[in-house]
Amino acid sequence: MTTSVSIDNVSKEFSGTTAVDSVSIEIGQGEFFTLLGSSGCGKTTLLRIIAGFLPQTRGDIRFGDKIINNVPAHQRNTGMVFQNYAIFPHLSVFENVAYGLKVRGRSRGDIDREVRQMLDLVRLGHLSHRLPRELSGGQQQRVVLARAMVIKPDVLLMDEPLSNLDTEMRLHLRSEIRALQQQFGVTTIYVTHDQEEALLISDRVAVMSTGKVVQLGPPREIYLQPSTLFVASFIGDNNLLPAMVEETRPDGSLLARLPGGQALIAHAVPGQKLSHGEACTVSLRPQDVDLKQGGPGGLEGVLEDIQFLGNTIKMYFSLGEGKPVVVTLPGRHDVTIPTVGSKCTLHPSAHAVTAFEGVVSQ
Amino acid sequence: MSSVATAPSPLSRLLSFWPIVTLVALATSTFLLLLPVYNIVGLSFSGQEGGAGIFENYIMFFSEPYYYRSLINSFIVSISAMVLALLIGVPAAYIVSRYDIVGRSLIKTAVVLTFVSPPFIGSYSWVVLLGRKGVLSQMFADVGISLPSIYGAPGIIFVFTLQFFPFVFLLVSSGLKSIDQSVEDAARNLGSGEGRTFFTVIAPLLLPSITTGALLVFIASFTDLGTPIILGERFRVLPVLIYGEFVNDFGGRPVLASTLAVLLLIVTTGALLLQRRLAARFSYATSAIRPLTLQSPGPLKRFLASVFIYGLVLLALLPMINIVISAFLKSNGPVLVAKFTLANFDKVWRMADGPLLNTVMFTTIATAMCAIMGTMIAYIIARRSGRISALLDTVVMFSYAVPGIVLGVGLVVTYHNPPLALTGTPLILILAYFIRRLPFSVRSSVSSLQQLSRDTEEASINLGAGPGRTFLKITVPLLSMAILSGALLTWSNTIRELSATLVLQSGSTTTISVEIFNEVANGNFGTASALGMTLIVLTFLPLLLLFTFLGKNEEALV
Repeated sequence: MTTSVSIDNVSKEFSGTTAVDSVSIEIGQGEFFTLLGSSGCGKTTLLRIIAGFLPQTRGDIRFGDKIINNVPAHQRNTGMVFQNYAIFPHLSVFENVAYGLKVRGRSRGDIDREVRQMLDLVRLGHLSHRLPRELSGGQQQRVVLARAMVIKPDVLLMDEPLSNLDTEMRLHLRSEIRALQQQFGVTTIYVTHDQEEALLISDRVAVMSTGKVVQLGPPREIYLQPSTLFVASFIGDNNLLPAMVEETRPDGSLLARLPGGQALIAHAVPGQKLSHGEACTVSLRPQDVDLKQGGPGGLEGVLEDIQFLGNTIKMYFSLGEGKPVVVTLPGRHDVTIPTVGSKCTLHPSAHAVTAFEGVVSQ
Repeated sequence: MSSVATAPSPLSRLLSFWPIVTLVALATSTFLLLLPVYNIVGLSFSGQEGGAGIFENYIMFFSEPYYYRSLINSFIVSISAMVLALLIGVPAAYIVSRYDIVGRSLIKTAVVLTFVSPPFIGSYSWVVLLGRKGVLSQMFADVGISLPSIYGAPGIIFVFTLQFFPFVFLLVSSGLKSIDQSVEDAARNLGSGEGRTFFTVIAPLLLPSITTGALLVFIASFTDLGTPIILGERFRVLPVLIYGEFVNDFGGRPVLASTLAVLLLIVTTGALLLQRRLAARFSYATSAIRPLTLQSPGPLKRFLASVFIYGLVLLALLPMINIVISAFLKSNGPVLVAKFTLANFDKVWRMADGPLLNTVMFTTIATAMCAIMGTMIAYIIARRSGRISALLDTVVMFSYAVPGIVLGVGLVVTYHNPPLALTGTPLILILAYFIRRLPFSVRSSVSSLQQLSRDTEEASINLGAGPGRTFLKITVPLLSMAILSGALLTWSNTIRELSATLVLQSGSTTTISVEIFNEVANGNFGTASALGMTLIVLTFLPLLLLFTFLGKNEEALV
C-alpha cells in the first residue's frame, strides 16, 4: 500500500562536505514529487538516503508514521528506477520483472499472472523471453519500470530515468511514466536536472541547490513566482538585469534604475526587503513584454537581432548599456516584426517584473 | 498500512551476511598466513639454537660465511637474471608487437608454454642436455667444442632468465597495447628515428610494465627452490639453505630455518613494495584509441629480428622438446638410450591413484576454495569501503609476498603439535595452496567488479533481496567469467607448486612435482620426463580453455 513520506531535517555529510543540508519535505500519499537541481546539488544523495543505500548523518525518514532510519535497503519496499537502467543482463525480461516477486516468496501462478499483466501494461508482453541486450534503451527502461512497479512499492523512486534516452523516446516515456503513476496512485519521488521534465510531470517540485531546498511548490508557482534569484535564473528563460533601487513605495513596488539610465517598476519578491539605494536584480520573462511605439512606463530599446524559431520569434533589444533584453513573440501569421535597427518601447505586463536582493553572477 | 519491516536490532545487523563473511576471511587469513609468519618471526628472535640474545640467530647469520654467502648468492643470481630477462624480454616484446614477422601468435604461445612449465623441469632438462654426460655437451665434444657447464651460478642464471623473461615479455606486450599510435607518429613527425623514438617516447611510457616485470623476475628468481637444488651443487642460495636446515638428516633446525625464512620474506616484501611504488610513480594512465600499428621492417632489420626471436623461442622451448622426446626413450639410469618405449608412462600410470590423484585432488579443492572465498573477499574489497576492507586487501596482497618455502616452514612450525597437528595431512597442503593462490582469484574478481556498475546490485537490494541473495543471484552470475578465468589461472599455478609442497608433504601426500623432483634426484630421467610431460599438459590445458573459450590473451597470466 502506498504511503506518505516525510523527510525530517535530514543532512548527509561526506568527509567534511555537506551533500544534503537540513532538508525537510512532506510528501503526500500518491503524490508525484520531483527533486530538481543541477548535478551535485544533493538530489540523488537524498534519493539514495530514502532508498536506504546511504545512511543519513542526521534527521529522520518516515514512511507513513514509521521511522525507517534503521531499516536496511532490501526491507524498505521501495521500487527504484535507475539512470542507467540497472537491468539484470543475465535474466530475461520476464525474469527481470519477476525478480522482486520471487524474493517475496510469491507463488508461481501469482508471479506469472502479475508479471504478464505488468508487461502488457508497458507494452512489452511480446518480448518477455528476450534478453536485455536485445532490447532498445527505451524498452530496457520500461522493463525496469515494470520491475519496480510490479512489487507494489510503498514509494516509487526514480533517479533521472530518462536522461540516457534520445529526445523522442524521452518525451514518449515521460507521459507513460505519468500515466502509470496516476493509474497506480503510487507515491513517487522523481529526480531530474531537466526543468521542463520537472514542470511537466510533477504535482510538486523541490528546487535544490548546494544541498538545500531553495523553493518548494507546484510547477506553475515555481515558474511564475520564483522565491529567489537562483530559482528565477534556473527555471525557464529569463532576463535578469542588474539595477539600483531608486524609490520604494508603500504597496511593495519599487522603482529600479537600470545602468543605461532607464527605470522600470518592479515588485520586491515576498520575504525580501529592498531599501533605497540598494543594488538588486530585476527579472522579466521574455514572453511578458508587449512591443509598442512609445507610451508611458516602457523601456526604450533598439532591435539588434532577430532569431526565428518557428513557433516563437526571439528578439534582442539593446537598452544602451549592459546585456541586451530578450523578448519573444508567438510566431503567429498576424504578428508584425520590427526591422533590425528600429526603435521600440518595451512594456512589461502587470506584475511580471520582480526585484531580488543581490546581483546575479554571469 | 505500510508493509515496511520494522528496524532490526544492532546485533542482528552485525550478524548479517557481509560482516560474517568478513570475519571468516579475516580469521582464515590470520590462521593460515599471519600466525605462521608471526611464529617464524618469533622463532627467529628466540635465540634457542644460536645463543641467548634475541638477535643471536641474525648475528650468527651475518658472521658465518656459510650463511651470509647464500644471501649474496641469491642476490647475484636474481639480479643477473633480472637484468638479462630485461635485455631479452623488452626487445622480444617490441619485435613481436611491432613487426609483421611470420608466426607471431605461435611465438606468443611458445612464450606462454615456457612460462607455465615448472622451472625445476626446465632445470633438469638442461642437465640432460648440457650436464656432464649431457646430449648436447657430448655432441659438441665430439666435434671438439666444449660447452660451458650448466652447474653453478651461470647455469642457474641461464635457466632463470629463460624461465622468467616471459614476465617482462607479457607485461611489456600489454604495455605496448596501451600506447596510442599518434604518440609515435608525433615523435617521428618531429624528426626522431625509430631507435630514438623508442628510447625517448615508447620506453618511458613502458616504465610501469618494465619495472613490474623486472621485479617479478627478481622475486621469482629469489624464491625459487627447485632450480638451485638441481643445478646449484656447491653454490647455495637462501631458499636451498632454508630447505636444507629444515629437512636435514639430523632432524632439522626450525629456529635457524625460520631466521633464514624471515630474511627471505623481508627481501620479497621489500621488492613488492618497491614495485607498487615504482609502478604508481611512472604511471601516466594512457589509453590507446588507436594502438600502435604493425610495421614492415626493411630486409636487414627483419632478418636480425627474426634470428633473435626464433633463436630465443627455440632456446626456451628446447628443454620441453627434450622432455617430450626423452619421455618416450628407454633410459638406463641417467643415460637415455635412443630406443622408443612407453615404459616411462607405465610408471606414471602406476602413480594414478597416488601422487597423480593427490595432485589433481589437492589442486581442485584449493582452486574451488580460492574461487569461492576469493570472490567474496573481492566483493568486500571492491564494494564495502572502510578500514576493515582495506585491512583485508592488505592481508591478501601480503600473501602474494610470502614465498612458498616461507609459508611451508611457517605452517609446519605452527601446526606441528597437537591439538592442531596438521603436518603431513592433505589438509595442510590444500590450505597452503589456497592461501598462496588466493590473490589470483581476488585480483581477477576485483577488476571485474570495478567495471561493473553498482546499480545492478542496488536494484536487486531495492527489490527486496538481501545482501547474500543479491550476491548469489546477481553478482556471481555477472562475475562468472572472471571467476572462471581466475580459477583456471589458479589451477594452472597451483598444480606445479614445489617449494611449499616439499616442506609440507609426507610420503602419502606426495604430488607429481615432488615425484619429479625425487626421480631427478635419483637420476631416473626417463620417468621424470614422462611425469614432467604429464604435469606440463595438466598445467597448459586450463590455459588453452582460457585462451580459446574465454577470449583471454597471454597478458592475463601476469
